[in-house]
Amino acid sequence: MTTEGEGTLAGMQPKRVPLYRDATVVKWVTQVIALLLVLGALFFLVEEAGANLKAKSIPNDFDFLGINPGFNISEGIDKDPNTGGRALWVGMVNTLRLAMSGIVFATLLGLAIGIARLSDNWIVNRLASIYIETIRNIPILVQIFIIAVLLGSAGRLVGDTGPINGWFMVSSKGLAVPRIFPSDGFYQWLVVLAIGTLLARAVRKRRVTHQDLTGAISYPNLWFGAVLLLVAVVGWFVHPVFGFLNNLFNEIGDAWGSIPQSGAKLVLAAGAVTASLLWIRRFLNSKRSPAGLAKLTDDDMFRMIFAVIGGLLVAFVVTIGWPGLSSWIINSGQDFWHFLGDKFGDGRTGNPVDAMRPTIVGEGTLLNYGSQGLVMSPGFAAMFIGLTLYTASFVAEIVRGGILAVPKGQSEAAAAIGLNRAQALRHVILPQAVRVSLPPLGNQYLNITKNTSLGIAIGFADVVNVGGTVLNQSGKALPVIAIWMLFFLCCSLTISVVVNWFNVRTRIVER
Amino acid sequence: MTDTSVADTDRLSGNKDMIVCEGVNKWFGDFQALKGVTATIKEQEVVVVLGPSGSGKSTWIRCINRLEAHQGGTIIVDGVELSNDLRNIEKIRSEVGMVFQQFNLFPHLTVRDNVTLAPIWVRKRPRAEAEQLAMDLLERVGIPEQADKYPGQLSGGQQQRVAIARSLAMEPRVMLFDEPTSALDPEMIKEVLDVMKDLARGGMTMMVVTHEMGFAREVADRIIFMESGEIVESGTPEHFFTNPTEERTKLFLSQIL
Repeated sequence: MTTEGEGTLAGMQPKRVPLYRDATVVKWVTQVIALLLVLGALFFLVEEAGANLKAKSIPNDFDFLGINPGFNISEGIDKDPNTGGRALWVGMVNTLRLAMSGIVFATLLGLAIGIARLSDNWIVNRLASIYIETIRNIPILVQIFIIAVLLGSAGRLVGDTGPINGWFMVSSKGLAVPRIFPSDGFYQWLVVLAIGTLLARAVRKRRVTHQDLTGAISYPNLWFGAVLLLVAVVGWFVHPVFGFLNNLFNEIGDAWGSIPQSGAKLVLAAGAVTASLLWIRRFLNSKRSPAGLAKLTDDDMFRMIFAVIGGLLVAFVVTIGWPGLSSWIINSGQDFWHFLGDKFGDGRTGNPVDAMRPTIVGEGTLLNYGSQGLVMSPGFAAMFIGLTLYTASFVAEIVRGGILAVPKGQSEAAAAIGLNRAQALRHVILPQAVRVSLPPLGNQYLNITKNTSLGIAIGFADVVNVGGTVLNQSGKALPVIAIWMLFFLCCSLTISVVVNWFNVRTRIVER
Repeated sequence: MTDTSVADTDRLSGNKDMIVCEGVNKWFGDFQALKGVTATIKEQEVVVVLGPSGSGKSTWIRCINRLEAHQGGTIIVDGVELSNDLRNIEKIRSEVGMVFQQFNLFPHLTVRDNVTLAPIWVRKRPRAEAEQLAMDLLERVGIPEQADKYPGQLSGGQQQRVAIARSLAMEPRVMLFDEPTSALDPEMIKEVLDVMKDLARGGMTMMVVTHEMGFAREVADRIIFMESGEIVESGTPEHFFTNPTEERTKLFLSQIL
């Protein structure tokens, strides 16, 4: 097969290539060998670890997830978790909170500082340089310690009167701000917002068409925001009209609950198989050109085989392998719709969103904040400020590098065809700078997520800290470490996928 | 009027002054790149600027649409003086097209979007109209079938022709060419020069920095020879190539011809 097309000269016999030189054979054989090696190594490691642990009678099961961990957590969604799994979940949520807020604020701060460093203004430029050079050259752990010490020694700073009137407080117990939370009418208001978004999109489309037809700059995004804002404000007062959705959702929930189990199984299995077949059809169609079906590579065959296997596997799992799944789907679907119905229940006429003022309990030398306000604990604050400042210095350099990476000729060409500075930045410079900045920016996001584990140094209850306590209490080292690894792997993969998606969107087409 | 192959300066005698440079000076640090350049270019005139590298010819035409700021003397384009006044700079830039040695197309936009960008955002023309204009211009430079490709997918000559179309989309009164063929393979030079000749015959005011002597001889109304930031000699191609008066011009010609 690989030799065809060779013997073009008359009388020349197509030579048979020996197997060890046949590219296709070599490729397949090496892949299979690599796979076997990896599987073998994994099997060996797991087997060895299991045997050794058993020999030393160290337990490596996951029982601790279900039993009382026997400790409290200083902050988080549940300060007194009743199972080990719950405790780890609290730690994960704390880590995610820290990582996500760090990512958002480090990006914003870094963007500002990066642009400042490119400024023509000497003072702004110098200040940005000093910031970057100072912050990024001090180890992050040292910075976190310094901030923790500074926050810990801070005096109490609170305005009980005037416009502040106890809404914001700072002390060694942390930073307290009002807790803003979805209230009675929130879900009805969400419906209003959804309608408003549709309306605003329609308006934006009209504005874009208007601009395309007449050439007048018609600010479609500004209009989008204005319409949405208007609907949101009106909706703030009229949202109770959507209370009727209560009955609708409850009825959908009832209908969902009455689906027979066997029917659900059948639908799920058929769906999985159909999806895999549809994917293959689409895949083949994408290979089809007017000249006929293109030659399929080994890689393409792999993909199609995996699609079939995947579809069959899912079908097997939902029908035979995991009988509880279909009833779980039915039950949770029913619960979900009833939950939604509940959110639209009677008497939900209050404000969609409310705010609570932080309260002080145990005022005196050891004052503490009550549950009312949103309190950023000293540990979280130190980690958040430290990570944000530190990562922002790297983001700033990435932003600067991205903008400088756009050749000077681009801004000259933009100027030469008459674009002003802002237009050149928006249409020419930034789209190209973003493309260059995205991959290193993704790395910084990964770094922030991983650096949250430094929280253990100042007693912030992140997943590593909580996991460490669980490990100490239960003695199950390997399972806890496995959970840590899996958690951080999931975080990192999610970030990678998101960044790559943006990266593909901003890619530049070349030949 | 369309016969530009001879030094027919009479055809320009009634035209008004399009570019007036008076004692233009420019320094890069201690280095003086332009030393009192004085020249007047009439409407519809095609001027080719020659000179050894480093003689300030690129700097000069880059000053004319303010990609470089001149530091002494005056530059007046179509009656508007180029100063620190941003409004004047924008006005002049939208009337003066420029083609670069390195094309400088926007790699993230299709050929069509490259050409329509300025008409839509600067001239505020309707998109359909701008796209029609873009297609007409791409037709004129001979590559309408490439409209939906990206610059990276085109050859150098095609890219430079797109760059010319992009400049023409602003319907400029003057076109500046900064060594438009210097980055091209020999077989692509002709296709770009043909487009430029076509433009010149159409009555565009053009200032061209180039090393293409054939183009200069055939198309130019006037040749300006520069060295060390000064205009050494200026005259019709016939005068310049056959009977130069200055020693330095003779030396330059003896080196390249």
